[in-house]
Amino acid sequence: MVRAYKVKGEKRKKKGENYDKEEEIEVPLEEEESTKRVKTEHTAADTEAAERVVDLLSGIPVVAADQTNKAGVIFIIERASLEIAKIGKTYQLLNSDEHSNFLKKNGRNPSDYRPDIAHQAMLSILDSRVNKAGRLKALYVRTEKGVLFEVKPHVRIPRTFKRFAGIMLQLLQKLSITAVGKREKLLRVIKNPVTQYLPIDCRKIGFSHSSEKLVDIQDYVNGVNNDTNLVFVVGAMAHGKIDKDYVEDYLSISDYPLSAAYCISMITNAMERKWKIL
Amino acid sequence: MAKTAKASKSDSSSKKKKMKKSSKSGPKAKDMKLKAPKENPFETIWSRRKFDILGKKRKGEQRRIGEARSSAIEKRKKTLLKEYEQSAKSSMFVDKRIGENDEGLGEFDKAIMRSQRERQVKLKKNKYNLSDEDEEGFEIGASLGRDDFDEEVPFDEDEEDYGRDDKSAILGQLNFHGSQNAQAGPMEAEENRKKSKKEVMEEIIQKSKFFKAQKAKDREENDELTEQLDKEFTSLVNSKALLSLTQPDKIHALKALVNKNISVGNVKKDEVVDAPRKGPIGKEKPDTYEMLVSEMALDIRARPSNRTKTPEEIAQEEKERLEMLEQERQKRMAAADDDGSEEDGNASDDDSKLIKDPRTISGDDLGDNLEEAPRTKLGWIAEILRKKESELEGEDAASTGDSESEEDDGEDEGNDDGEDEESDESDEEQGKTQTIKDWEQSDDDVIDTEEEDDDEGSGDDAKKVMKTKDHKQVAVKGKEVGTLQTKKEKTTVKHQQSELPYTIEAPKTLEEFTSLIDNCSDDQVIEAIKRIRAFNAITVAAENKKKMQVFYGVLLQYFAVLTNKKPLNFKLLNLLVKPLMEMSAATPYFAAICARQRLQRTRTQFCEDIKLTGKSSLPSLKTIFLLRLWSMIFPCSDFRHCVMTPAILLMCEYLMRCPIICGRDIAIASFLCSLLLSVTKQSQKFCPEAIVFLQTLLMAALDKEHRSENIQLNNLMEIKELEPLLCIRSSTVEIDSLDFLELVDLPEDSQYFQSDNYRASMLVTVLETLQGFVNVYKELISFPEIFTPISKLLCKLAGENHIPEALREKMKDVSQLIDTKSQEHHMLRQPLKMRKKKPVPIRMVNPKFEENYVKGRDYDPDRERAEKKKLRKRIKEEAKGAVRELRKDNEFLSKAKERERSLLAAEKAEKYGKDLAFLQEQEHAFKSGQLGKGKGQKRRR
Repeated sequence: MVRAYKVKGEKRKKKGENYDKEEEIEVPLEEEESTKRVKTEHTAADTEAAERVVDLLSGIPVVAADQTNKAGVIFIIERASLEIAKIGKTYQLLNSDEHSNFLKKNGRNPSDYRPDIAHQAMLSILDSRVNKAGRLKALYVRTEKGVLFEVKPHVRIPRTFKRFAGIMLQLLQKLSITAVGKREKLLRVIKNPVTQYLPIDCRKIGFSHSSEKLVDIQDYVNGVNNDTNLVFVVGAMAHGKIDKDYVEDYLSISDYPLSAAYCISMITNAMERKWKIL
Repeated sequence: MAKTAKASKSDSSSKKKKMKKSSKSGPKAKDMKLKAPKENPFETIWSRRKFDILGKKRKGEQRRIGEARSSAIEKRKKTLLKEYEQSAKSSMFVDKRIGENDEGLGEFDKAIMRSQRERQVKLKKNKYNLSDEDEEGFEIGASLGRDDFDEEVPFDEDEEDYGRDDKSAILGQLNFHGSQNAQAGPMEAEENRKKSKKEVMEEIIQKSKFFKAQKAKDREENDELTEQLDKEFTSLVNSKALLSLTQPDKIHALKALVNKNISVGNVKKDEVVDAPRKGPIGKEKPDTYEMLVSEMALDIRARPSNRTKTPEEIAQEEKERLEMLEQERQKRMAAADDDGSEEDGNASDDDSKLIKDPRTISGDDLGDNLEEAPRTKLGWIAEILRKKESELEGEDAASTGDSESEEDDGEDEGNDDGEDEESDESDEEQGKTQTIKDWEQSDDDVIDTEEEDDDEGSGDDAKKVMKTKDHKQVAVKGKEVGTLQTKKEKTTVKHQQSELPYTIEAPKTLEEFTSLIDNCSDDQVIEAIKRIRAFNAITVAAENKKKMQVFYGVLLQYFAVLTNKKPLNFKLLNLLVKPLMEMSAATPYFAAICARQRLQRTRTQFCEDIKLTGKSSLPSLKTIFLLRLWSMIFPCSDFRHCVMTPAILLMCEYLMRCPIICGRDIAIASFLCSLLLSVTKQSQKFCPEAIVFLQTLLMAALDKEHRSENIQLNNLMEIKELEPLLCIRSSTVEIDSLDFLELVDLPEDSQYFQSDNYRASMLVTVLETLQGFVNVYKELISFPEIFTPISKLLCKLAGENHIPEALREKMKDVSQLIDTKSQEHHMLRQPLKMRKKKPVPIRMVNPKFEENYVKGRDYDPDRERAEKKKLRKRIKEEAKGAVRELRKDNEFLSKAKERERSLLAAEKAEKYGKDLAFLQEQEHAFKSGQLGKGKGQKRRR
């Protein structure tokens, strides 16, 4: 569980200051690394490729596994009720089951505190085939309090709620969660307008049962151009609806009010079918 | 300096907190009033919370930054500014006035303190000074100068009076006298309070004396009371009332007790009266209670025994045992490679099996429950192969020697008569004597002749079941059950016929055995075998094992001989199966060896036969019976088995290599097919020979012209062109069930084999066997490839002209079955993929987090490093704080300096201005010529 401690390097200190800038810095760094790696492995790869070509029968194409440059999806979970509070001596993620008395004492409505919705939603996004195939570009979660954090697509979110609560607690206090044994930040609290992180040519689609526009998600998704990135905005709150002005299009995909997790699984299924991910 | 500033801050904040707690409504107003009468608007601003976390109370969250700043400045004014002011000075004024440092004191208090001190100083001086002024000094000196020694001098009173008078007179001595007064006043009270030592001691002594007296008195009273009680008791004992209530012997004890106290004479009188009366009764009747106690002590404790088992439990145990056996079978089927483990299992199982077997195998089970048959242990292969040599040499040394010589004989004769030789083979292992062989030989000869006699007779009534072996056996079983039911009656009858001895030694040769059971009925034979087995049970004596092995050989031989007999005693054969199976379970190795030897002989014989063209080399009835027997004795489903594997191979070889010439061959071969089916049913082993053979049989049912289309098929399996032996030519056909035994009995050139009835019936059996194979092999991946040609063939056959309707239906059913099954297989098949590679999912990474995360705690597993880090952090924090304070100090100082300088500058400027004004005035005066008399003029003006 515990990563090996390394001596803090210079590089980190230099870039550490601003969270917003980190991403910009990080990307070129990664690229640099990858190019380096490519260079070092270049010769080996060349010979390997040559051998492979010999093996290949002519006329039968080998499936290209490179999917990095394809369009992907981005999920934004809005209004997730992830809030920590000091209960007794410890900090805990507020949760209607365990802290209803505390919440009542503080004049809150216990039924609004449902971190499990966000948990399920995140799990169903990260478990989807879209993610396994590497087509999930990013996942952002914005809490009811307005804290925005980014979840890297390759995080393995704890499956039990207790552990999830632990990780959220740490994230909201420490503002970032690293990978086991690595420096890489898997979850990170970021500055607020989420729009600044979205790609330029994307289509932002919100989901609301109250929307007039009732569509079959499969048809809708199929109708979208293959090159545009799709941003899906789903609410993870117990009651109410999302109302964000950056959303271009509000959809209702069922006659019934759906749970966040199921709605997400419908979306991901549609995307998988569209992209033929089996 | 920083620290002081900080401390002051925290002080102020804590003060504020208290304030807040006391009055939540308006902390500001109250604070302001107390702290600063005039509000600084900046000080009223409270620090704002950035993140509102429920339930969190932060230390600094309620502070007002402006106020904190001004308080810090105040503090500095008191400390830093003072120092700064002092810094330029070489000396400084130290205020050492009494009470001046204590801020809590008012002016008046200070004055009092000072005066007190003054007087004290004076007093000190006066103590040792001889007084200069008589009036005052004398009195004081006298009172002060006295030692303790003088204190109790009686003129106390005078002094007191004097003091009292003085008090009013001399105010200056107020203090001194006051103290004196205080001493004198409480004198009387002191007497009460403080007793002298003597008095205390006296008191203590008195008290102890009092307590002693009290104790003595108590004791006396106690004694009196007990005495009284004793008296009362003795009177009670002597009274008759008690006697009647208690038991006699106890009374004596009581009286003995009482006697000590009471006059002896009295009691004796009583005793004399009582003793004769009560004594004997007491002795005669021991106390029942005591008796009970002693009984209980001597009682043997009941031991818990095993609970008697309910029928359900017994059934459950049986079920578990069967399940375990089945599990083992499955394991063997899966071809475990480890010989070691198998052997272990074997060894342990053998013992248990020996005990259990007789109960579990019923004689009725001929064919339909194959699960029961494989009683014997598997994994023999390895063990047997290993032990074979030694066993053969050890146990059967004599017999092997014999058998070798026998073998030669057998082979010589073998050329003459095929049937004969096969029976010879069976003899060989067991070391038959020549005489027995002769007997056998003659027996066979007789059969041959008989065969010819009744050759056509049975042709007509060949209307019995033959389909698969199972089917046949069901029928047989039915018969058998009937016989068994009547068995008891019969045996009693037969006992009268010829009495069997109850203890029979195990016969060592077939001759002995045959002589023993000569003239016996079938049931008696079985009874005899049973008795032999019971008498020579292996469990009874060690040497019985050898005997039983020999007897097993004999019995097997007898079985073989019986199968060659004409007419066939099928019932006896069936009855023999049970003891044979049980015995082979008892001596598994030996049974396996026997079987292997026989198989080997049969195989060599078969190889010889096949070379002679024109002769049917298909197995004799004996071989078939033996094969069937072994398939029941040994587990068929084993992946590898020392008997069954070669047996199956042999059967397949028969099917593959023997030319099919006549109808009888077809019957035998199709029986072999069904035998193979029953053997492979469980293990689903694939026997291509059987399938191919069935296919050729079906092809034999086709007309010549249709056959050419199946050339490809013929190429695949090197099959000799079959005559259309099964081709049905007339349209009036009836389908019968065939009896295999009767068919075999028929001669090769019997007319019945040419009849369409026979052909149709044969086809039915073939179809049924085929269906069985289809069902067995439906799991095979290559199922469609194996069976689709057959299905096609069936379709074609169904299209033939003369096929009877029932047969056509059957064919269609089977081909339908094949088609649906192969359809299913085709459904699941996937196209061959080039470089099939599963897409690789992205690599997931586990996030690192702690349970019960506490902010600020270091989760470094290395405690030392964490500690160091913490300390370093604190140092840094402190350094930062210090720097901050120093900076503020500097700022403050520079401000102070600036203020000073500006003050100086202003002063300077003012002075300069003044001077300048003066000069200007002078100049003005001078210029205006008023210098000389100007003053006067001015004044005047």
